[in-house]
This record gives sequence, C-alpha cells and structure tokens, in this order.
Amino acid sequence: MALDPVDVCIVGSGAGGAPMALELGRAGFKVVVLEKGPHYRKEDFVHDEILNSRRNFFQPLPWEEPHLLRRGATGKYERSNSAWTANCVGGGTVHMSGYFYRLKPVDFRLRSELGAVPGANLADWPIRYEELAPFYDKAEEELGVSGDALPHPFAEPRKKNYPLPPLEVHPIAKEVESACKALGWHPLQTARCIISKPYRGRAGCAYCVLCGSYGCEHDAKSGTNASLVPAALATGKVELRPRCMAKEVTVDGRGRAKSVVYLDEKGMEQEQPAKLVVVSCTAVESARLLLNSISSRFPRGLANGSGLLGRNLLFSSFGESRATFRVSKQLGRWPWLTDPAPFVDRSIQDFYLMPDDRFGFRKGGTLGFMWTHPNPIFAAVGMAKSGKEGIFGKPLKDKLREYRDSRILQFEVYAEFLATPGTYVTVDSKLKDKYGLPVAAITLERHPLDFEATRFLVARGEEVLMSLKPDELRRVGAAGETTILQGGTCRFGKDPASSVLDKDCRSHEVDNLYVVDGSFMPTSGGVPITLTIVANAFRVAGALVARMKRGK
Amino acid sequence: MRGRSRRVFLHHLAFLGGGAVLLGSGCKQKKKEAAPPKPSGLKPKGLTTSHRTFTSEEYLVMSAACERILPKDEDPGALEANVPEYVDRMLQSPSLKQMKEDFLSGTAALDRRCQRMFKVGFADASAEQKDQALAVFKESAPGTGEAHYYELLVVLTLEGFLGDPSYGGNKDQVGWKLVGFDLIGKHAAEPPPGYDGDRHLHSHLSGG
Repeated sequence: MALDPVDVCIVGSGAGGAPMALELGRAGFKVVVLEKGPHYRKEDFVHDEILNSRRNFFQPLPWEEPHLLRRGATGKYERSNSAWTANCVGGGTVHMSGYFYRLKPVDFRLRSELGAVPGANLADWPIRYEELAPFYDKAEEELGVSGDALPHPFAEPRKKNYPLPPLEVHPIAKEVESACKALGWHPLQTARCIISKPYRGRAGCAYCVLCGSYGCEHDAKSGTNASLVPAALATGKVELRPRCMAKEVTVDGRGRAKSVVYLDEKGMEQEQPAKLVVVSCTAVESARLLLNSISSRFPRGLANGSGLLGRNLLFSSFGESRATFRVSKQLGRWPWLTDPAPFVDRSIQDFYLMPDDRFGFRKGGTLGFMWTHPNPIFAAVGMAKSGKEGIFGKPLKDKLREYRDSRILQFEVYAEFLATPGTYVTVDSKLKDKYGLPVAAITLERHPLDFEATRFLVARGEEVLMSLKPDELRRVGAAGETTILQGGTCRFGKDPASSVLDKDCRSHEVDNLYVVDGSFMPTSGGVPITLTIVANAFRVAGALVARMKRGK
Repeated sequence: MRGRSRRVFLHHLAFLGGGAVLLGSGCKQKKKEAAPPKPSGLKPKGLTTSHRTFTSEEYLVMSAACERILPKDEDPGALEANVPEYVDRMLQSPSLKQMKEDFLSGTAALDRRCQRMFKVGFADASAEQKDQALAVFKESAPGTGEAHYYELLVVLTLEGFLGDPSYGGNKDQVGWKLVGFDLIGKHAAEPPPGYDGDRHLHSHLSGG
C-alpha cells in the first residue's frame, strides 16, 4: 500500500540531494529524502582505520553490493568496490577531503573553444559559467568553505571571497610556493570544505591529522551531513528516511513519474508517491536506478528514449607522485619537518590549458599538493606489494621502520576525462546485489589523449617535488582514474536526441523527473567536481521552486 | 556469477585519504579440496587465547605464518602484537564469511605444502622452511587460491599489527610505535574509552 503522497521525493542526501531538500523545504514544499545508508552522528565518527576504510562503514562490500568493472567491451567484468562513495546521510561529502575548486569558464565551452576531438563525445554545456557563478557563491556560503581567492592569471571570475578565511597550513606550504614560483608558475591556495572558524553553530577545525576518508567528529568538515541536511530538517518540511534503498521510479499512465518504490530499514517494500521525483545517488547509481525502472512506456529504462542513459560516463583522470623526506637527514635543513600540521593546501592551475596543442587537445587540469595520508594499514599494504615484487619478513619490517623516519609530500592530478563511446554504465540483470537488484556494470575505454595530458601534469608536479630535494621520488601512477569523482551518465543539453536532461536537469521525456548529482555533466572539468554538483543543485532548485510556485 | 573472479581492485586513491582499499574477498578456488587432513604431529602448546575461528592446530599454523610476515627482531613482531587473536576474532565477522572459508582452506593448504616440501608441518618447520613455503604461495599465479591466501594473510597481519587495539591486535600499540603512528595519533582524538570497533560497525549495519 502506498504511503501518503508528498510534493517531492528525493533519492540521495549527498552533494546533489541535500541542496534540493534544503531549498524545497525552505519554500514550504513537503519533501521526503530516501537515503540508502545510515544516519551517522558526529559521535559515530571514530578514528579507527579498520572501521572507516577497510569495512562497510562507508562503502559497501564488493561481495554484497558489487560494481562490475571491465576495461573495454571485450574485457572481463570483475567485481569491485570502485565507483562507490560513502553510503550514509551526506554521501561522499562525509568522507571527502574537501578540496573545493570551481570549474572555469572554458569548461562550459570546451568543444567550441578547443574543437572536437576524434574518438571523444565532446560537448558544450547548455549553460555558461556566468549562470552557475552565483550558485557557487551560494554553495560556498551554505556549506562553509575556507579559502582566500587571490588574484591569479588563471583564476575564474568571482564576485566575493570565500565565507571563511583559509585554514592554517604546514610550513612546507611556503617551500612549495617558492618552488612553483621559481619554475615560473602561480601557486594557489586550495579552498577546503572545512570551516576554519566557528560557523553557523559548528566548531572550527581542530587540525587533527585524520581527515580525508574519515567522518569529522567535530562537524568541522562541511559535508552536507553537517551543514545542509540539518538545515533542511530544521525547516520542518523535510523528512529524512535513512537505510531506505530505492528500487524503482514508477510512472503513471501518462508517462509521468508517480512514486519511488523502496526497501525500508526492515527490508519491507514501500511506495512513496510524489508529484515530483529527484534522483541523486551518484552518476553510476542514478543511472542504475533509472535503468532498473522499466515499464511498458519505458522498456529501456526511465527517461531513456534517447538510449543515452548511462552513456558518456565520466571520472577524473588521476596521477600522483610522492616525495619522501627522511626526517633523520632533513631535520637540520627543515627543523619544522615533523610539525604535525595536516594541511598543505597549495595547487597549480597553470596547465589547466596546455601551453600548446602538442597532444592534439589543449585541456589539462589541476595539481594539488598535500601530505600523504597517514593511514598506517593503507601505507603498509602498499609497501608489502604482491607477487614477485611482494616482500615479507625482515624486508617488510625494515620498510615499516623507514616509514617511521619519513614525511611524504605528494601531489594529485585532477585532469580532464574525455567522454568516449566505450565508457558507460549498464545494469547486469544476471547479477543482483543483497537487495535483489541488478547491479551497475561499468565499461571503461579511456581516450589516449587523457593519458598524454595527465602524464604531462605529473611531470610538472615532479619538477616541483624534485626542487624541494627529497631523498626519494616515486611515481604512483599517471594513467588511472579517480572513480569517486563521477559524472556524465545523464548528460544535460538542449537537444533531446543528444542528451537525457534539459538545462534545468529535468528529464526531456518525463517532465517531473530531475537528476542532480554529477550525472548532468557533459565534461569532467579539471578539478574535483563536488562543489560544482552542490552549486548546480542550488541552481536547479532555484528554477524548480520558481516553477512549482507558478503551479507548473 | 559463480564463475566470475571475485578479486577486488586495490585502488590507491589518495583523494580519499588512502581509504579506498578493502580486503579482497574470496577469489575463485581452483577446485574445492577434499576434507583437509588435520595437520600432523602438533600439540597445542602455550595457547592462552580462547580462539573461535581456528582449531588449536590451525591456530598454531596461522600464528606461525603471521609471525613470518612480521617476525620479531629488534622490534616486536606479529605474535607480540597479538595479531593471531585479531585474525581469529575478525574472521568471526558475519560479513566476512567467505573470507573465513578461504582463509581456513588456505591455512590447511599451507600446512600440506610444507609437509610435502620438508616432511614437517608448518608450525614445526624452521624459519627458512616456512619462508620458502610462503614464497611459493606469494608467487603463485594471480587468481589462484594460493596467491589469494597470501594476500589475505599479509593484509590481515598488517591490519592486526597496525589497526585499532580494540580489535584484539596491536597490543600496547607496538605496531603504531614501529611506524611512528603513535606520534601522529596524538594529534587526532583516539576512540573513546571502551570503544569496540567491530561492535560499533555492526551496531550500525545490522538493521536493513
């Protein structure tokens, strides 16, 4: 039996769902938010690496809720926990590191400004940077973002500075800055989605060293669990239902979204009717939910008349190198080396566009510098390696002792990930998860130009690290992808034949269905996209509230 | 789904702060072995823990294997850190049932291999003999039961050595002291007194 109808049912409480819930609640609409994971409170966040990173506190176990992943259409699917973000109220914003960059105006017009790329589905966005900019301001303010927008040759235009001053940084940030400047580049301060001072009833950051991969026990990390969700609940119009796994969005006889069918915390099936449905479960999982929502009207999945649902999947191109400083050797030069201050927060965007078209396409990305995360099990498993390279016994213990004498500075690359015809999400009707639902199956066929650009960026980052004279430099990788940053499966655009959503992230085909996670993005940008998802959801919510008030 | 490899990709995602590595689950077994013969000629000696996953004989083999992964030298090894107790307790976790089966059959296979190679069970073999047997498992082809067991052994040993002491290992934080995490850890709040990681996890995940 169906539950009482509401105005809006939102699936997901992370970067996309939470801004929608807040704005709709503020406007007086009755909203239900379904979240598949639990609702953790700050006292549930404990500095326990096993709990946070190695079990299913945040990410599901691959044998209970796998994603299938293969390289190329002829590859063999493997079960994986890739492309899951945290399954809990707040989603990926709970365990993120919170490196918050905006996209740049060029990201909205890559095809027009840089030209088509053979083998890639490159498209302009149906909106300009200027249309999103006010919502970047709003997102930074509503969440609580700390930074200092210094003038910079590659800076995107913005009307005001960040709502909070930058977080304090480790003395090595100055060295990174000097090294970048000596190379002729422009070090930026990386804005963080962490509050540097008390803000809206929350305490400022305590500068503990365990941040990314953990929930914040002080609520200083501005995940939606700490910021937007409590504000949405405070409107009195929003009901949050944790541990509720959406199965299907149903449609009525006219092909409009009618309800969300879900399994509640006891595993009982429920049906929540709503005038309007908003899907926001990450690009992979939103595509899966809609592909699993099959009806006679939509036999290939809801809002999939174009056949593009799940296509044009995007991740972030990944590269990383690490510089190790042996404390026993370097402390004379840098007496502050063992200072426990956790943040470096320096970035370079001089190569957001390549200096020339040597690789055939000029889009590059961002380099962010940081201390390597101190999670000891993660580090030790990396040292032990496997197979012929694997070590155990005394050699492994020597590595562990060496680690004690090390401080490791690294950079990460966030670079363009070109959409290709060979990179997409489908569902595997033969393999079902613990809820009995067909799982998402991901096929990856990367564009070779991505790797050229990422390698170029990695080499620039290594120039910076080498000029700091480390005892060792190690390239971790230059040809990977960061699958927690995902978008593209419900591309937005003007033409229903080449996109799933319109410019307001409403389905072209189902006029009361919205998708507001990263799915709408036609291109990946050269930065982590979390801030862009939040800003876009505020933009979509603004247009939707106006439309609903007009009674449409 | 049965025939599919269940290996988990070990992703190194620093963006998440080194968080994205989960334990591998059971990979496909080459074939189900007939009921493994009991390790021969072993007397449980000096056992002080009340183990639940392993028989006394199996516990000795597992303990000996953990100690070869992280042997005592000038610094404490796996035994001193109570790693075997961690492994025994962790494999009781309901969500790790497949891993428990894989680990138990792997432990029996290691003992048999040692018996075949050196005519002595793993627990009674010399350090060199143990290392040779482990090296065979380590260098087995990816996807084989042997390679998978080695991976589980290393990962569980390192978790028991470097994880929160509430899980039964890392006794007196000897693991954290070895890698310097006892110093780092002072700059982040420790779990509250009486904290039990396994109970905390399952209190949140038992519903639904």
